[in-house]
Amino acid sequence: MRPSFLLRKEFGNLAVIRGTVKYHLSPLEQRAFAGAISQGVPNIFWRFRQSFFYVVPPMLLSYLVYYTAEMEHDRLQRKQPGQFDHEK
Amino acid sequence: MYKASRFSPLTSIIRHTVVTLPTPINISTWWNFGSLLGICLASQIFSGLVLSLHFTAHTDLSFYVVIQSFGDVYYNWWFRALHANGASFFFIGLYLHIARGLYYGSYLFKEVWSIGVVILLLVMASAFLGYVLPWGQMSFWGATVITSLFSALPVIGGDVVVWLWGGFSVDNATLTRFFGLHFVLPFIVAGLVGLHLFFLHDQGSSNPLGVSSDFNKVVFHHYYVLKDLVGACFFIGPLLGLVYFNPWLLGDPENFIEGNPLVTPHHIQPEWYFLFAYAILRAVPNKLGGVVALAAAVLVLFYMPVSPKTSLKGLSFYPWGKMLFFSLIGVFFLLTWAGSKPVEEPYVVISQVLSFLYFSYFALIGPITRIQDKLL
Repeated sequence: MRPSFLLRKEFGNLAVIRGTVKYHLSPLEQRAFAGAISQGVPNIFWRFRQSFFYVVPPMLLSYLVYYTAEMEHDRLQRKQPGQFDHEK
Repeated sequence: MYKASRFSPLTSIIRHTVVTLPTPINISTWWNFGSLLGICLASQIFSGLVLSLHFTAHTDLSFYVVIQSFGDVYYNWWFRALHANGASFFFIGLYLHIARGLYYGSYLFKEVWSIGVVILLLVMASAFLGYVLPWGQMSFWGATVITSLFSALPVIGGDVVVWLWGGFSVDNATLTRFFGLHFVLPFIVAGLVGLHLFFLHDQGSSNPLGVSSDFNKVVFHHYYVLKDLVGACFFIGPLLGLVYFNPWLLGDPENFIEGNPLVTPHHIQPEWYFLFAYAILRAVPNKLGGVVALAAAVLVLFYMPVSPKTSLKGLSFYPWGKMLFFSLIGVFFLLTWAGSKPVEEPYVVISQVLSFLYFSYFALIGPITRIQDKLL
């Protein structure tokens, strides 16, 4: 177990940083939701496209397995032609 | 650096946990589930306490006390619906929280991850014990099936089961001890959650990029206090929707019949959150093998911290790893579906293939990501 006091991360002790540059804008000089619609909405479509081919194919395959299994189970629950011919 | 000298130890702990805690600026919605689970735990403890005021753990009384309290005790119907559906949402949160951990490499926080898996096991135990308490058909037979699994243990199995039951079948002694354990376990879970957070705050939260965020952190309050509140609204909304409009959607109608040892339900199955493990249990044709597979389905999570390491943390930059991860998600959904099905073809062979694929993820994810490290 690591002694937590050795690795305590808090403001003022996060990491060794040299050459910090701080920028600051007054709240009166900026719009809080700048670009929320104009950039945010296209970003939604971009994020969707980036993950589409990782998420959708496995989900599609899973649905196909489920659908095929249910069809096969329903078929096996029914009488098949010739199933009881040996009893004639 | 903030000085704690002018604050009491308690406010100092609270300050360092939810006020001034340095938090990465870029953590996404997947990081909301920790706080959501905390809300779920508090809700379950509170609603459980209220329900326990009017509950009697006796085989002759439990079923009728639960039903009668709906009409006789003000708002008890609400607390019961909240507690039952809260358990489902607890597991939704748990599975999404674990999925985040698997995807973003959170298991590299070994202590946090290990305590988290123990919390998962205790919450699963608590949910199982709680489901027995209403003493419906599914309560009784679910308890019978799961406790009987321990008889598969070599040599001592039979004695262990009798010891667990407190008799020679699931009966009053079993119900009484299950109530006691169901009451106590959430408080142990709460203690472990504190320990889980302690080890997490030792290093600080990870982030979706998997790189160090020490150079770009913000205070927890008010950024993530607000974000967690928004997440809570999106989480509690559907929960209350179920409570008010369709409280038994996720339940089993069989549990509205009083538990009867002489009448076996046609299809014994657990609640939805255990179905994936139930499918894995039934997939193995050997009793002990099935029990081992059931345990392994959850305990395999302990393997992740010692799995082969990659250059980058998480799967964000590993396309094959991402494809494998979402295949695991598909397999998990299919296992849940298969667990609800009767033991007939083609469900049997499908369960077996899916169980193999589930464990294959943990075996393959390390090598596949390391291959990409070498190729690119």
